[in-house]
Amino acid sequence: MKVKDAEYSLLFKTIAYVMVTIFTLVCLFPVLLIISGSLTDNETIVRNGFGLIPEKFSLDGYMYVFKYPTAILRAYGVTIFTTVVGTALGMFFITMAGFVLQRKDFKYRNQFAFYIYFTTLFGGGLVPWYIMLTKYMKLMDTYTVLIYPGLMTPFLIILMRSFIKSAIPDELVESAKIDGANDFRIYRSIVLRLSMPGIATVGLFLALQYWNDWFLSSLFINDTRKYQLQFYLYNIINTVQFIRDMAISSGVSIGNPPTEAMRMAMSVVVTGPIVFLYPFVQRYFVKGLTIGAVKG
Amino acid sequence: MRRNIKLVAAFLAVMLILLTGCMGGGKSEPGGGGSGGGGSGGRTSASGLDISQRVELQFYMLGDAPVDLPLIEAEINKMLVEDLNATVKFNFTTWTDWEQKYRLLLTSGQPVDLIFTAEWTQYQAYAKNGAFLALDDLLPKVAPKLYAFVPQEMWDAVRIDGKIQTVPATWKEYVTFGNVWREDLREKYNLPIPDSLENVEKYLAGIKQNEPDMIPLAANGLFHTPGYYDFKYEPAGVASYGFPYGLYIPYDDPSNVQQFWGSERHLEDLLVMKRWMDNGYISRNVLTTQDTAHTMLVTGKSALMMGDNPNRWNSTNQDMKSTHPDWELGYYPYPLKKGYATPVHPIHNGFAIPISSQNPERALAFYELMVTDKRYNWLTQYGIEGTHFQVTEDGYYEGLSDSFKREGMNGWAWRNPEYMLFDESFEAVNEIFHELDKIAKPDIFTGFAEDWTPYQAERAALEQVRQQYLHPLEVGLVDDVEAGLRTFMEKAKEAGLETIQKSYTEQWLNYLKEAGIQ
Repeated sequence: MKVKDAEYSLLFKTIAYVMVTIFTLVCLFPVLLIISGSLTDNETIVRNGFGLIPEKFSLDGYMYVFKYPTAILRAYGVTIFTTVVGTALGMFFITMAGFVLQRKDFKYRNQFAFYIYFTTLFGGGLVPWYIMLTKYMKLMDTYTVLIYPGLMTPFLIILMRSFIKSAIPDELVESAKIDGANDFRIYRSIVLRLSMPGIATVGLFLALQYWNDWFLSSLFINDTRKYQLQFYLYNIINTVQFIRDMAISSGVSIGNPPTEAMRMAMSVVVTGPIVFLYPFVQRYFVKGLTIGAVKG
Repeated sequence: MRRNIKLVAAFLAVMLILLTGCMGGGKSEPGGGGSGGGGSGGRTSASGLDISQRVELQFYMLGDAPVDLPLIEAEINKMLVEDLNATVKFNFTTWTDWEQKYRLLLTSGQPVDLIFTAEWTQYQAYAKNGAFLALDDLLPKVAPKLYAFVPQEMWDAVRIDGKIQTVPATWKEYVTFGNVWREDLREKYNLPIPDSLENVEKYLAGIKQNEPDMIPLAANGLFHTPGYYDFKYEPAGVASYGFPYGLYIPYDDPSNVQQFWGSERHLEDLLVMKRWMDNGYISRNVLTTQDTAHTMLVTGKSALMMGDNPNRWNSTNQDMKSTHPDWELGYYPYPLKKGYATPVHPIHNGFAIPISSQNPERALAFYELMVTDKRYNWLTQYGIEGTHFQVTEDGYYEGLSDSFKREGMNGWAWRNPEYMLFDESFEAVNEIFHELDKIAKPDIFTGFAEDWTPYQAERAALEQVRQQYLHPLEVGLVDDVEAGLRTFMEKAKEAGLETIQKSYTEQWLNYLKEAGIQ
């Protein structure tokens, strides 16, 4: 019996390890290609394609990136700022909204919930939204425009509402009330404490949304110093694309686009720090997500 | 309990301040109404324009802003406050989603005072829909110098529905096509100059034979096809778009609109492409490759490029020589073979004032300064003298800095031939231009404003079919060319090709009649 068990688990382990290893390699491969590409001489890349080991070593890509390092550093700053502020504000508003929407003593909770849900189905579209933000709210070229539109995501509000509903029994709120707690106290000491896993999830969503955003920069920012990091990168790729598709037919003369090696170097510079940061932050994410689960 | 309420209230207040703080941060208010700069006593500009109010002009250009733009903007504004009691903000759209942004700028009603126009930004269509201000009355009043500076026939050429709606650039350039090839390799292997299709093929074969590692033709997607067709035929407007909806409009006989797609000639050309592909002149992953044709040429992966203009040939050549001084690119302009060359149409580069502009007079006056005042012109084209560029003893341009290159603000539209500075290497292009000047004939195609609203749905469907069925044919990736072409024609007809062609031909013939071309 015992032997069989061990055999069984050994088999399982072997399969698991093999699978995980293969999967890791598949994930690592593109990253390695980028790193090696960034260290390869550009001409070699064009002629022979990418390789795992640089055929002809060159640091030109990095030289180019760090010729004007301020632009990238600024973009980093902007993205970090919008991510931190946006996530913090967003989590506050979303938890508040979720808390209110699930309260039984809030008579119109269902109507309000529907109103929020409704916006996910029917929206005004891009142009009215653009006019609203630029013409009436005058948010062109401000940091606000990078944060404000993403603060309240209907999906996250509904997620938060259902989470609070399931995690906090009404009796708990009632007894707190009897003990003399007001609504803010309940929100702060009970709701926030007990719905940590939900908040962590929402926070993760929000942070990712802000970190990966380039669209807002693209539409509303003209000032190069306010570009977000993702837009900075995306724009370089688009410039190359434009030159490829349009420059001939339009006959415009633009300087030479960044080469393959430069783009790879830029990707490394932009993603590198996050890759190193992630293992340290990941702990908290996992912890936050499993707090509720362990207690059952 | 009370303390908590206070805490929350304070928190909310702080956040409000934060939000409004951010809002106020970036926006520079147009300097305090009439009280700013020089009092209000009814100031007028040199041309008699009322400039008692200080205004900020919003200037929009496509592309990426140069690194040193703030420096230039500050210099310009110093002078502009004196001249027009105004400041200008130079905005750049970048190339990311530029078409969408361009549309938003013109349709959202946000204040834009000056915006770039060209046929490839759909100037004709926007003008037809009334996106721009008619300048006919404004020009002689506000910008008499500019009005006199641009020749009358150019003003006439940019008229849409009888109204001038953009200020055209006056520098005469040619963006006609030509063949670009590696001259050093041609000499080394004693190959013919690729000045005819026959010689192009010989050259490609010679390269393949002697340099088996190279892919002779620099092809990326359909990059080479417009060039190929322009080289072989004499279409009225191929320079930009290829054959519109498969209709061949000969330059000499523009009212004789012919069916090209599916014709014998078309099949013949597709078979040529197939042969080139089979012989290995074209890369097999031509439709997916990310390298531009220029990169392929500059890095020595390929040896011939079809369909490039003289200006870009020259810059590619310079670019290549910086890493490979012993390599050399040759150029053969297609107009030489055809016997006529069409200089760019005035619509090709221009600046318009959108109807949303709040200060059209001041905007036009400022644009006049940019074109006709040397100080403004040089600053916005070449940067600050001594910092960004210097003029050599022979009168050539010499760049000094990477943070503002020549025409760093993409100033194609406000080039002024009298003030223009060229790089010494540009002489080669000028030589070609002079040669083309001798056989110059007007561009009859660009003035045509196609209105595709009657067949918008068919147009989108056709584009799908074209990409799916025609593109692989045009790079020789389909084994059975004849059957492939038949399939494409069937699908195209299903998508509504005939409706489009009928309406397009009608519009085209109307245009010819109106413009008096025959």
